[in-house]
Amino acid sequence: MAEVVILGAGVSGHTAALHLRRMLGRNHTITVVSPNSQWNWIPSNIWVGVGEMSKKDVVFPLAPVYQRKGIQFRQAKAVAIRPAGDTHDGRGAVDIEYTSKEKSGQADQLRYDYLINATGPKLRFEATEGMGPDGHTVSVCTADHAMEAAEKLREVIAVLKSGKPQTLVVGMGHGTCTCEGAAFEYVFNVDHELREAGVRDLARVVYLTNEAALGDFGVDGMVFDQQGFQTTSELWTGSLFRERGVEVILGAHVQKVEARLIHYETLDGATYTLDFDFAMLIPPFGGVPLKAYAPDGSDITSELFAPSGFMKVDADYTAKPYAEWRAEDWPTTYAAPGYDNLWAVGIAFAPPHQISKPLKTPNGTMIAPSPPRTGMPSGVMGKTVAKTIADRIRHGADAPAHTASMARMGAACVASAGTGLTKGSAAAMTMLPVVPDYQRFATGRDEKETRGELGLHGHWVKLMLHYLFLYKAKALPGWQMIPE
Amino acid sequence: MTESNLPAPEPVADLSKSPLPTAKTLRGRQNLLGQFLRFIAFDLRIMRMVAKGHH
Repeated sequence: MAEVVILGAGVSGHTAALHLRRMLGRNHTITVVSPNSQWNWIPSNIWVGVGEMSKKDVVFPLAPVYQRKGIQFRQAKAVAIRPAGDTHDGRGAVDIEYTSKEKSGQADQLRYDYLINATGPKLRFEATEGMGPDGHTVSVCTADHAMEAAEKLREVIAVLKSGKPQTLVVGMGHGTCTCEGAAFEYVFNVDHELREAGVRDLARVVYLTNEAALGDFGVDGMVFDQQGFQTTSELWTGSLFRERGVEVILGAHVQKVEARLIHYETLDGATYTLDFDFAMLIPPFGGVPLKAYAPDGSDITSELFAPSGFMKVDADYTAKPYAEWRAEDWPTTYAAPGYDNLWAVGIAFAPPHQISKPLKTPNGTMIAPSPPRTGMPSGVMGKTVAKTIADRIRHGADAPAHTASMARMGAACVASAGTGLTKGSAAAMTMLPVVPDYQRFATGRDEKETRGELGLHGHWVKLMLHYLFLYKAKALPGWQMIPE
Repeated sequence: MTESNLPAPEPVADLSKSPLPTAKTLRGRQNLLGQFLRFIAFDLRIMRMVAKGHH
Protein backbone atom coordinates (compact mmCIF):
# COMPACT_ATOMS: atom_id res chain seq x y z
CA MET A 1 0.00 0.00 0.00
CA ALA A 2 1.36 3.42 -0.98
CA GLU A 3 0.57 6.79 0.54
CA VAL A 4 0.43 9.77 -1.78
CA VAL A 5 0.12 13.27 -0.33
CA ILE A 6 -0.80 16.28 -2.45
CA LEU A 7 -0.32 19.78 -1.10
CA GLY A 8 -2.88 22.10 -2.65
CA ALA A 9 -6.30 21.63 -4.22
CA GLY A 10 -6.15 24.11 -7.08
CA VAL A 11 -6.18 23.16 -10.75
CA SER A 12 -2.97 21.08 -10.69
CA GLY A 13 -3.31 19.50 -7.23
CA HIS A 14 -6.98 18.63 -7.62
CA THR A 15 -6.39 17.24 -11.13
CA ALA A 16 -3.54 15.08 -9.82
CA ALA A 17 -5.68 13.78 -6.95
CA LEU A 18 -8.62 12.81 -9.17
CA HIS A 19 -6.44 11.06 -11.75
CA LEU A 20 -4.48 9.20 -9.07
CA ARG A 21 -7.73 7.99 -7.54
CA ARG A 22 -8.89 6.86 -10.99
CA MET A 23 -5.62 5.04 -11.72
CA LEU A 24 -4.94 3.44 -8.33
CA GLY A 25 -6.87 0.88 -6.32
CA ARG A 26 -8.51 1.83 -3.03
CA ASN A 27 -5.75 0.02 -1.12
CA HIS A 28 -3.55 3.07 -1.82
CA THR A 29 -4.13 6.25 0.15
CA ILE A 30 -4.39 9.64 -1.50
CA THR A 31 -4.48 12.61 0.84
CA VAL A 32 -5.05 16.22 -0.22
CA VAL A 33 -3.94 18.99 2.11
CA SER A 34 -5.46 22.40 1.38
CA PRO A 35 -6.04 25.41 3.64
CA ASN A 36 -9.22 26.15 1.68
CA SER A 37 -12.40 24.16 2.11
CA GLN A 38 -13.62 25.11 -1.36
CA TRP A 39 -12.47 24.67 -4.93
CA ASN A 40 -12.50 27.86 -6.99
CA TRP A 41 -12.65 28.14 -10.79
CA ILE A 42 -10.43 31.21 -10.74
CA PRO A 43 -10.83 32.21 -14.43
CA SER A 44 -14.47 33.13 -13.71
CA ASN A 45 -13.58 35.36 -10.75
CA ILE A 46 -13.44 38.29 -13.18
CA TRP A 47 -17.20 37.85 -13.70
CA VAL A 48 -17.75 37.81 -9.94
CA GLY A 49 -15.67 40.99 -9.81
CA VAL A 50 -18.14 42.85 -12.03
CA GLY A 51 -21.24 41.39 -10.38
CA GLU A 52 -22.21 39.14 -13.30
CA MET A 53 -21.69 35.97 -11.22
CA SER A 54 -21.90 35.32 -7.51
CA LYS A 55 -19.36 33.49 -5.36
CA LYS A 56 -21.49 30.34 -5.32
CA ASP A 57 -21.22 30.15 -9.12
CA VAL A 58 -17.43 29.74 -9.01
CA VAL A 59 -16.77 27.65 -5.88
CA PHE A 60 -17.92 24.34 -4.39
CA PRO A 61 -16.97 22.45 -1.22
CA LEU A 62 -14.14 19.95 -1.67
CA ALA A 63 -14.94 17.58 1.21
CA PRO A 64 -18.06 15.92 -0.34
CA VAL A 65 -16.20 15.30 -3.64
CA TYR A 66 -13.22 13.77 -1.87
CA GLN A 67 -15.48 11.68 0.37
CA ARG A 68 -17.31 10.31 -2.70
CA LYS A 69 -14.05 9.53 -4.48
CA GLY A 70 -12.30 7.98 -1.46
CA ILE A 71 -9.67 10.71 -1.17
CA GLN A 72 -8.56 11.80 2.30
CA PHE A 73 -8.89 15.54 2.86
CA ARG A 74 -7.13 17.62 5.48
CA GLN A 75 -8.15 21.26 5.63
CA ALA A 76 -4.75 22.46 6.66
CA LYS A 77 -1.70 24.30 5.42
CA ALA A 78 1.64 22.60 4.96
CA VAL A 79 4.41 24.31 6.90
CA ALA A 80 7.41 22.02 6.36
CA ILE A 81 8.63 19.15 4.23
CA ARG A 82 11.02 16.50 5.53
CA PRO A 83 11.91 14.79 2.24
CA ALA A 84 14.18 12.18 3.84
CA GLY A 85 12.15 11.77 7.01
CA ASP A 86 13.60 12.27 10.47
CA THR A 87 15.59 10.34 13.03
CA HIS A 88 12.56 8.15 13.88
CA ASP A 89 11.44 7.22 10.36
CA GLY A 90 13.19 7.43 6.99
CA ARG A 91 9.94 8.00 5.09
CA GLY A 92 9.26 11.53 3.93
CA ALA A 93 6.92 13.63 6.02
CA VAL A 94 4.97 16.87 5.83
CA ASP A 95 4.24 19.04 8.86
CA ILE A 96 0.79 20.57 8.62
CA GLU A 97 -1.30 23.01 10.61
CA TYR A 98 -5.09 22.75 10.46
CA THR A 99 -7.10 25.72 9.24
CA SER A 100 -10.63 24.35 9.68
CA LYS A 101 -12.83 25.94 12.36
CA GLU A 102 -12.87 22.77 14.47
CA LYS A 103 -9.11 22.13 14.52
CA SER A 104 -7.68 25.57 13.76
CA GLY A 105 -4.03 25.87 14.76
CA GLN A 106 -3.54 22.18 15.63
CA ALA A 107 -0.35 20.65 14.27
CA ASP A 108 -0.02 17.25 12.66
CA GLN A 109 2.43 15.29 10.56
CA LEU A 110 1.72 13.13 7.49
CA ARG A 111 4.09 10.45 6.22
CA TYR A 112 4.26 9.88 2.50
CA ASP A 113 5.70 7.62 -0.15
CA TYR A 114 5.06 10.19 -2.88
CA LEU A 115 4.51 13.93 -2.48
CA ILE A 116 3.22 16.53 -4.94
CA ASN A 117 3.67 20.19 -4.07
CA ALA A 118 0.84 22.03 -5.81
CA THR A 119 0.48 24.81 -3.29
CA GLY A 120 -0.10 27.58 -5.85
CA PRO A 121 0.82 31.18 -5.19
CA LYS A 122 1.15 33.33 -2.14
CA LEU A 123 -0.52 36.61 -3.07
CA ARG A 124 2.21 39.11 -2.15
CA PHE A 125 0.14 42.27 -1.68
CA GLU A 126 2.76 43.39 0.83
CA ALA A 127 5.29 43.78 -2.01
CA THR A 128 3.67 47.12 -2.85
CA GLU A 129 2.83 49.48 -0.02
CA GLY A 130 -0.87 50.28 0.18
CA MET A 131 -1.97 47.67 -2.35
CA GLY A 132 -4.65 45.04 -1.81
CA PRO A 133 -7.94 44.58 0.00
CA ASP A 134 -6.30 45.71 3.25
CA GLY A 135 -5.00 48.78 1.46
CA HIS A 136 -6.51 50.96 -1.22
CA THR A 137 -7.06 48.60 -4.15
CA VAL A 138 -9.24 45.59 -4.87
CA SER A 139 -8.34 42.23 -6.36
CA VAL A 140 -10.02 39.38 -8.24
CA CYS A 141 -7.51 36.71 -7.18
CA THR A 142 -9.98 34.96 -4.87
CA ALA A 143 -13.76 34.72 -5.00
CA ASP A 144 -14.04 36.79 -1.80
CA HIS A 145 -11.75 39.47 -3.21
CA ALA A 146 -13.84 39.51 -6.38
CA MET A 147 -17.07 39.98 -4.38
CA GLU A 148 -15.51 43.01 -2.72
CA ALA A 149 -14.35 44.34 -6.11
CA ALA A 150 -17.90 44.04 -7.47
CA GLU A 151 -19.27 46.00 -4.50
CA LYS A 152 -16.72 48.80 -4.99
CA LEU A 153 -17.46 48.86 -8.73
CA ARG A 154 -21.19 49.20 -8.00
CA GLU A 155 -20.41 52.21 -5.79
CA VAL A 156 -18.34 53.85 -8.53
CA ILE A 157 -21.08 53.24 -11.11
CA ALA A 158 -23.58 54.87 -8.73
CA VAL A 159 -21.33 57.94 -8.49
CA LEU A 160 -21.02 58.03 -12.28
CA LYS A 161 -24.80 57.87 -12.57
CA SER A 162 -24.97 60.98 -10.41
CA GLY A 163 -22.97 62.73 -13.13
CA LYS A 164 -19.55 62.85 -11.45
CA PRO A 165 -16.59 61.63 -13.58
CA GLN A 166 -14.53 58.76 -12.15
CA THR A 167 -11.16 57.19 -12.99
CA LEU A 168 -10.92 53.40 -12.95
CA VAL A 169 -7.48 51.76 -13.07
CA VAL A 170 -6.98 48.05 -13.75
CA GLY A 171 -3.64 46.33 -14.04
CA MET A 172 -0.56 44.95 -12.41
CA GLY A 173 0.53 46.06 -8.96
CA HIS A 174 4.27 45.39 -9.32
CA GLY A 175 6.92 45.16 -12.01
CA THR A 176 7.31 41.40 -11.61
CA CYS A 177 3.63 40.41 -11.68
CA THR A 178 2.21 37.59 -13.73
CA CYS A 179 -1.42 36.91 -14.82
CA GLU A 180 -1.66 39.92 -17.14
CA GLY A 181 -4.49 38.04 -18.86
CA ALA A 182 -6.69 38.41 -15.78
CA ALA A 183 -6.19 42.17 -15.69
CA PHE A 184 -6.80 42.32 -19.46
CA GLU A 185 -10.09 40.48 -18.99
CA TYR A 186 -11.14 42.53 -16.04
CA VAL A 187 -10.51 45.90 -17.68
CA PHE A 188 -12.73 45.00 -20.64
CA ASN A 189 -15.43 43.57 -18.40
CA VAL A 190 -15.39 46.79 -16.40
CA ASP A 191 -15.62 48.73 -19.67
CA HIS A 192 -18.54 46.51 -20.73
CA GLU A 193 -20.36 47.07 -17.42
CA LEU A 194 -19.88 50.83 -17.68
CA ARG A 195 -21.36 50.77 -21.20
CA GLU A 196 -24.29 48.64 -20.05
CA ALA A 197 -24.91 51.11 -17.22
CA GLY A 198 -24.82 53.98 -19.73
CA VAL A 199 -22.01 55.80 -17.92
CA ARG A 200 -18.95 55.00 -20.06
CA ASP A 201 -18.64 58.59 -21.31
CA LEU A 202 -18.00 59.87 -17.79
CA ALA A 203 -15.41 57.23 -16.93
CA ARG A 204 -11.70 57.29 -17.63
CA VAL A 205 -10.51 53.68 -17.81
CA VAL A 206 -6.75 53.02 -17.59
CA TYR A 207 -4.87 49.75 -18.07
CA LEU A 208 -1.63 49.99 -16.07
CA THR A 209 0.70 47.13 -16.88
CA ASN A 210 4.24 45.86 -16.40
CA GLU A 211 4.23 44.51 -19.97
CA ALA A 212 6.69 46.40 -22.18
CA ALA A 213 4.28 45.96 -25.09
CA LEU A 214 0.57 45.28 -25.31
CA GLY A 215 -0.28 41.63 -25.93
CA ASP A 216 2.87 40.39 -24.18
CA PHE A 217 0.81 38.49 -21.54
CA GLY A 218 4.04 37.33 -19.87
CA VAL A 219 4.72 34.97 -22.79
CA ASP A 220 6.74 37.39 -24.95
CA GLY A 221 3.71 38.10 -27.11
CA MET A 222 2.53 36.02 -30.04
CA VAL A 223 2.74 36.11 -33.80
CA PHE A 224 -0.48 35.10 -35.51
CA ASP A 225 -1.15 34.07 -39.07
CA GLN A 226 -4.18 36.08 -40.06
CA GLN A 227 -5.53 35.66 -43.58
CA GLY A 228 -2.09 34.97 -44.99
CA PHE A 229 -0.28 37.76 -43.13
CA GLN A 230 1.68 37.68 -39.93
CA THR A 231 0.25 39.91 -37.26
CA THR A 232 1.28 40.33 -33.65
CA SER A 233 -0.67 40.08 -30.44
CA GLU A 234 0.56 43.66 -29.81
CA LEU A 235 -1.23 45.04 -32.86
CA TRP A 236 -4.26 42.88 -32.27
CA THR A 237 -4.76 43.85 -28.62
CA GLY A 238 -3.88 47.49 -29.38
CA SER A 239 -6.84 47.51 -31.76
CA LEU A 240 -9.18 46.37 -28.98
CA PHE A 241 -7.88 48.99 -26.51
CA ARG A 242 -8.28 51.72 -29.11
CA GLU A 243 -11.76 50.56 -30.10
CA ARG A 244 -12.93 50.50 -26.47
CA GLY A 245 -11.23 53.77 -25.53
CA VAL A 246 -9.17 52.21 -22.74
CA GLU A 247 -5.96 54.16 -22.06
CA VAL A 248 -2.77 52.14 -21.69
CA ILE A 249 0.33 52.75 -19.58
CA LEU A 250 3.08 50.24 -20.40
CA GLY A 251 6.21 49.04 -18.64
CA ALA A 252 5.05 50.25 -15.23
CA HIS A 253 6.20 49.21 -11.78
CA VAL A 254 3.79 50.36 -9.08
CA GLN A 255 5.87 51.68 -6.18
CA LYS A 256 3.12 52.42 -3.70
CA VAL A 257 -0.57 53.15 -3.46
CA GLU A 258 -2.14 55.82 -1.33
CA ALA A 259 -5.83 56.61 -1.00
CA ARG A 260 -6.86 57.47 -4.57
CA LEU A 261 -3.26 57.83 -5.77
CA ILE A 262 -0.93 55.33 -7.44
CA HIS A 263 2.83 56.04 -7.61
CA TYR A 264 4.63 54.23 -10.40
CA GLU A 265 7.89 54.10 -12.29
CA THR A 266 8.21 53.39 -16.00
CA LEU A 267 10.94 51.72 -18.03
CA ASP A 268 12.70 55.02 -18.73
CA GLY A 269 13.14 55.51 -14.98
CA ALA A 270 10.63 58.38 -14.73
CA THR A 271 8.12 58.37 -11.90
CA TYR A 272 4.50 59.41 -12.10
CA THR A 273 1.31 59.47 -10.09
CA LEU A 274 -2.14 58.44 -11.21
CA ASP A 275 -5.33 59.52 -9.46
CA PHE A 276 -8.04 56.91 -9.19
CA ASP A 277 -11.47 56.30 -7.76
CA PHE A 278 -11.40 52.55 -8.29
CA ALA A 279 -8.33 50.35 -8.78
CA MET A 280 -7.98 46.61 -9.27
CA LEU A 281 -4.31 45.66 -9.18
CA ILE A 282 -3.00 42.09 -9.37
CA PRO A 283 -0.28 41.39 -6.79
CA PRO A 284 3.00 39.60 -7.56
CA PHE A 285 3.07 35.90 -6.72
CA GLY A 286 5.53 34.17 -4.45
CA GLY A 287 5.82 30.56 -3.37
CA VAL A 288 3.71 29.51 -0.41
CA PRO A 289 6.21 29.64 2.49
CA LEU A 290 7.38 26.13 3.28
CA LYS A 291 10.44 25.07 5.23
CA ALA A 292 12.45 21.95 4.46
CA TYR A 293 14.45 19.91 6.95
CA ALA A 294 17.03 17.13 6.73
CA PRO A 295 16.62 14.07 9.02
CA ASP A 296 18.91 15.66 11.62
CA GLY A 297 16.66 18.73 11.75
CA SER A 298 19.00 21.03 9.84
CA ASP A 299 17.36 23.56 7.56
CA ILE A 300 17.60 22.63 3.86
CA THR A 301 14.97 25.11 2.62
CA SER A 302 17.43 26.82 0.25
CA GLU A 303 18.27 23.43 -1.33
CA LEU A 304 14.64 22.66 -2.16
CA PHE A 305 13.30 26.11 -2.86
CA ALA A 306 14.37 29.11 -4.95
CA PRO A 307 14.57 32.48 -3.13
CA SER A 308 11.13 33.28 -4.57
CA GLY A 309 9.70 30.41 -2.50
CA PHE A 310 8.95 28.24 -5.55
CA MET A 311 10.25 24.66 -5.51
CA LYS A 312 13.23 23.75 -7.67
CA VAL A 313 12.55 20.96 -10.15
CA ASP A 314 14.30 19.45 -13.17
CA ALA A 315 14.85 22.80 -14.89
CA ASP A 316 18.16 24.38 -15.89
CA TYR A 317 18.53 27.18 -13.35
CA THR A 318 21.92 28.35 -14.64
CA ALA A 319 21.85 32.16 -14.81
CA LYS A 320 22.23 33.20 -18.44
CA PRO A 321 21.27 36.14 -20.63
CA TYR A 322 17.98 36.32 -22.52
CA ALA A 323 19.69 35.54 -25.85
CA GLU A 324 20.83 32.17 -24.45
CA TRP A 325 17.50 31.05 -23.05
CA ARG A 326 16.37 27.79 -24.60
CA ALA A 327 13.22 25.69 -24.56
CA GLU A 328 15.29 22.89 -23.01
CA ASP A 329 15.77 25.01 -19.87
CA TRP A 330 12.16 24.26 -18.92
CA PRO A 331 11.35 21.24 -16.74
CA THR A 332 9.81 18.10 -18.18
CA THR A 333 9.12 15.77 -15.22
CA TYR A 334 8.75 18.34 -12.37
CA ALA A 335 10.75 16.11 -10.01
CA ALA A 336 12.75 17.83 -7.27
CA PRO A 337 16.50 17.30 -7.80
CA GLY A 338 17.80 14.47 -5.63
CA TYR A 339 14.39 13.00 -4.82
CA ASP A 340 12.49 10.49 -6.95
CA ASN A 341 9.27 10.82 -4.94
CA LEU A 342 8.81 14.59 -4.74
CA TRP A 343 7.39 16.90 -7.43
CA ALA A 344 6.20 20.50 -7.77
CA VAL A 345 3.54 21.43 -10.33
CA GLY A 346 1.52 24.46 -11.39
CA ILE A 347 2.56 27.78 -9.91
CA ALA A 348 4.52 25.95 -7.17
CA PHE A 349 7.47 25.02 -9.39
CA ALA A 350 10.29 27.52 -9.88
CA PRO A 351 10.55 28.53 -13.55
CA PRO A 352 14.12 28.65 -14.89
CA HIS A 353 13.63 32.24 -16.04
CA GLN A 354 10.97 34.56 -17.42
CA ILE A 355 9.51 34.03 -20.89
CA SER A 356 9.24 37.74 -21.73
CA LYS A 357 12.47 39.70 -21.98
CA PRO A 358 13.29 41.04 -18.51
CA LEU A 359 13.97 44.79 -18.42
CA LYS A 360 15.40 47.13 -15.84
CA THR A 361 14.85 50.84 -15.39
CA PRO A 362 17.88 53.15 -15.14
CA ASN A 363 17.20 53.12 -11.37
CA GLY A 364 17.69 49.34 -11.29
CA THR A 365 14.01 48.47 -10.87
CA MET A 366 13.18 45.13 -12.48
CA ILE A 367 10.16 45.31 -14.77
CA ALA A 368 9.73 41.77 -15.98
CA PRO A 369 6.44 39.90 -16.25
CA SER A 370 6.76 36.49 -14.58
CA PRO A 371 5.86 33.44 -16.63
CA PRO A 372 2.26 32.23 -16.30
CA ARG A 373 1.87 28.63 -15.06
CA THR A 374 -1.86 28.47 -14.62
CA GLY A 375 -4.88 26.93 -16.33
CA MET A 376 -4.33 24.34 -19.02
CA PRO A 377 -0.56 23.81 -18.44
CA SER A 378 -1.19 23.53 -14.71
CA GLY A 379 -3.73 20.74 -15.18
CA VAL A 380 -1.49 18.92 -17.66
CA MET A 381 1.42 18.99 -15.18
CA GLY A 382 -0.82 17.60 -12.43
CA LYS A 383 -2.02 14.74 -14.63
CA THR A 384 1.51 14.01 -15.89
CA VAL A 385 2.94 13.63 -12.39
CA ALA A 386 -0.10 11.55 -11.36
CA LYS A 387 0.70 9.17 -14.25
CA THR A 388 4.35 8.94 -13.16
CA ILE A 389 3.34 8.09 -9.58
CA ALA A 390 0.72 5.57 -10.67
CA ASP A 391 3.27 3.82 -12.91
CA ARG A 392 5.85 3.66 -10.13
CA ILE A 393 3.35 2.25 -7.67
CA ARG A 394 2.10 -0.35 -10.16
CA HIS A 395 5.34 -1.23 -11.96
CA GLY A 396 8.12 -0.34 -9.53
CA ALA A 397 10.28 2.66 -8.74
CA ASP A 398 12.21 2.32 -12.02
CA ALA A 399 9.20 3.16 -14.18
CA PRO A 400 10.17 6.13 -16.34
CA ALA A 401 8.69 9.52 -15.58
CA HIS A 402 6.05 10.98 -17.86
CA THR A 403 6.93 14.36 -19.31
CA ALA A 404 5.07 17.60 -20.10
CA SER A 405 7.27 20.58 -20.84
CA MET A 406 5.73 24.03 -21.22
CA ALA A 407 8.07 24.32 -24.20
CA ARG A 408 6.18 21.47 -25.90
CA MET A 409 2.58 21.84 -24.72
CA GLY A 410 0.02 24.32 -25.92
CA ALA A 411 -2.50 26.45 -24.10
CA ALA A 412 -5.77 28.15 -24.83
CA CYS A 413 -6.33 31.54 -23.28
CA VAL A 414 -9.84 32.89 -23.57
CA ALA A 415 -9.93 36.43 -22.25
CA SER A 416 -13.42 37.73 -21.70
CA ALA A 417 -14.14 41.23 -22.95
CA GLY A 418 -17.71 41.39 -21.69
CA THR A 419 -20.57 39.06 -20.82
CA GLY A 420 -23.93 38.27 -22.36
CA LEU A 421 -25.10 35.37 -24.54
CA THR A 422 -25.71 37.69 -27.49
CA LYS A 423 -23.76 40.79 -26.44
CA GLY A 424 -20.63 39.25 -24.92
CA SER A 425 -17.23 38.97 -26.51
CA ALA A 426 -13.81 37.55 -25.77
CA ALA A 427 -10.32 37.40 -27.17
CA ALA A 428 -9.81 33.70 -27.81
CA MET A 429 -6.18 32.72 -28.24
CA THR A 430 -4.33 29.46 -28.67
CA MET A 431 -0.57 29.09 -28.53
CA LEU A 432 1.71 26.15 -29.14
CA PRO A 433 4.02 25.90 -27.34
CA VAL A 434 3.56 28.15 -24.29
CA VAL A 435 7.31 28.79 -24.04
CA PRO A 436 8.51 29.92 -27.47
CA ASP A 437 11.09 27.70 -29.12
CA TYR A 438 13.04 29.72 -31.68
CA GLN A 439 15.10 26.67 -32.63
CA ARG A 440 11.99 24.89 -33.91
CA PHE A 441 9.83 27.76 -35.12
CA ALA A 442 10.84 31.05 -36.79
CA THR A 443 8.28 32.96 -34.73
CA GLY A 444 8.87 30.85 -31.62
CA ARG A 445 5.58 29.01 -32.02
CA ASP A 446 3.68 26.82 -34.44
CA GLU A 447 1.93 29.38 -36.64
CA LYS A 448 -0.84 26.95 -37.55
CA GLU A 449 -1.84 26.50 -33.91
CA THR A 450 -1.10 29.99 -32.60
CA ARG A 451 -4.15 32.10 -33.30
CA GLY A 452 -6.16 34.94 -31.90
CA GLU A 453 -9.79 35.77 -32.61
CA LEU A 454 -12.21 38.30 -31.21
CA GLY A 455 -15.94 37.91 -31.05
CA LEU A 456 -19.07 36.58 -29.41
CA HIS A 457 -17.91 33.00 -29.95
CA GLY A 458 -15.01 33.65 -27.55
CA HIS A 459 -17.52 34.43 -24.83
CA TRP A 460 -19.36 31.19 -25.55
CA VAL A 461 -16.06 29.29 -25.32
CA LYS A 462 -15.23 30.88 -21.97
CA LEU A 463 -18.72 30.13 -20.65
CA MET A 464 -18.47 26.54 -21.90
CA LEU A 465 -15.09 26.13 -20.19
CA HIS A 466 -16.61 27.50 -16.96
CA TYR A 467 -19.28 24.79 -16.88
CA LEU A 468 -17.04 22.02 -18.21
CA PHE A 469 -14.27 22.57 -15.68
CA LEU A 470 -16.66 22.88 -12.75
CA TYR A 471 -18.23 19.60 -13.90
CA LYS A 472 -14.81 17.98 -14.21
CA ALA A 473 -13.60 19.29 -10.85
CA LYS A 474 -16.72 17.87 -9.18
CA ALA A 475 -15.69 14.48 -10.65
CA LEU A 476 -19.15 13.91 -12.07
CA PRO A 477 -19.69 10.97 -14.46
CA GLY A 478 -17.30 11.06 -17.42
CA TRP A 479 -15.14 13.84 -15.91
CA GLN A 480 -11.96 12.17 -17.15
CA MET A 481 -13.11 12.63 -20.77
CA ILE A 482 -12.70 16.40 -20.42
CA PRO A 483 -9.10 17.26 -21.26
CA GLU A 484 -7.01 19.43 -18.99
CA MET B 1 2.13 76.61 -10.54
CA THR B 2 5.15 77.37 -12.73
CA GLU B 3 5.96 75.35 -15.83
CA SER B 4 8.92 73.65 -14.08
CA ASN B 5 6.89 72.13 -11.27
CA LEU B 6 3.94 71.00 -13.34
CA PRO B 7 3.37 67.24 -12.95
CA ALA B 8 4.84 65.21 -15.82
CA PRO B 9 2.26 64.24 -18.42
CA GLU B 10 1.17 60.63 -18.04
CA PRO B 11 2.96 58.23 -20.41
CA VAL B 12 -0.23 56.98 -22.07
CA ALA B 13 0.60 54.75 -25.03
CA ASP B 14 -0.14 56.11 -28.48
CA LEU B 15 -2.59 53.65 -30.06
CA SER B 16 -3.38 55.80 -33.07
CA LYS B 17 -1.51 53.33 -35.32
CA SER B 18 -3.56 50.36 -34.05
CA PRO B 19 -6.14 49.44 -36.69
CA LEU B 20 -9.75 50.12 -35.82
CA PRO B 21 -12.21 47.42 -36.86
CA THR B 22 -14.60 48.37 -39.62
CA ALA B 23 -18.35 48.37 -39.07
CA LYS B 24 -18.51 45.13 -41.08
CA THR B 25 -15.93 43.47 -38.79
CA LEU B 26 -17.81 44.60 -35.68
CA ARG B 27 -21.08 43.25 -37.08
CA GLY B 28 -19.34 39.98 -37.96
CA ARG B 29 -18.08 39.60 -34.40
CA GLN B 30 -21.67 39.61 -33.12
CA ASN B 31 -23.33 37.70 -36.00
CA LEU B 32 -24.93 34.63 -34.42
CA LEU B 33 -24.53 32.21 -37.33
CA GLY B 34 -20.98 33.28 -38.19
CA GLN B 35 -19.97 33.20 -34.55
CA PHE B 36 -21.47 29.76 -34.08
CA LEU B 37 -19.24 28.49 -36.89
CA ARG B 38 -16.22 30.23 -35.29
CA PHE B 39 -17.18 28.60 -31.97
CA ILE B 40 -17.08 25.14 -33.55
CA ALA B 41 -13.81 25.90 -35.35
CA PHE B 42 -12.15 27.20 -32.17
CA ASP B 43 -13.25 24.15 -30.16
CA LEU B 44 -11.81 21.86 -32.82
CA ARG B 45 -8.56 23.81 -32.73
CA ILE B 46 -8.34 23.42 -28.94
CA MET B 47 -8.90 19.67 -29.30
CA ARG B 48 -6.27 19.40 -32.04
CA MET B 49 -3.81 21.32 -29.90
CA VAL B 50 -4.57 19.09 -26.92
CA ALA B 51 -3.88 16.03 -29.06
CA LYS B 52 -0.71 17.57 -30.51
CA GLY B 53 0.85 19.26 -27.55
CA HIS B 54 -0.17 17.55 -24.31
CA HIS B 55 2.78 15.25 -23.85
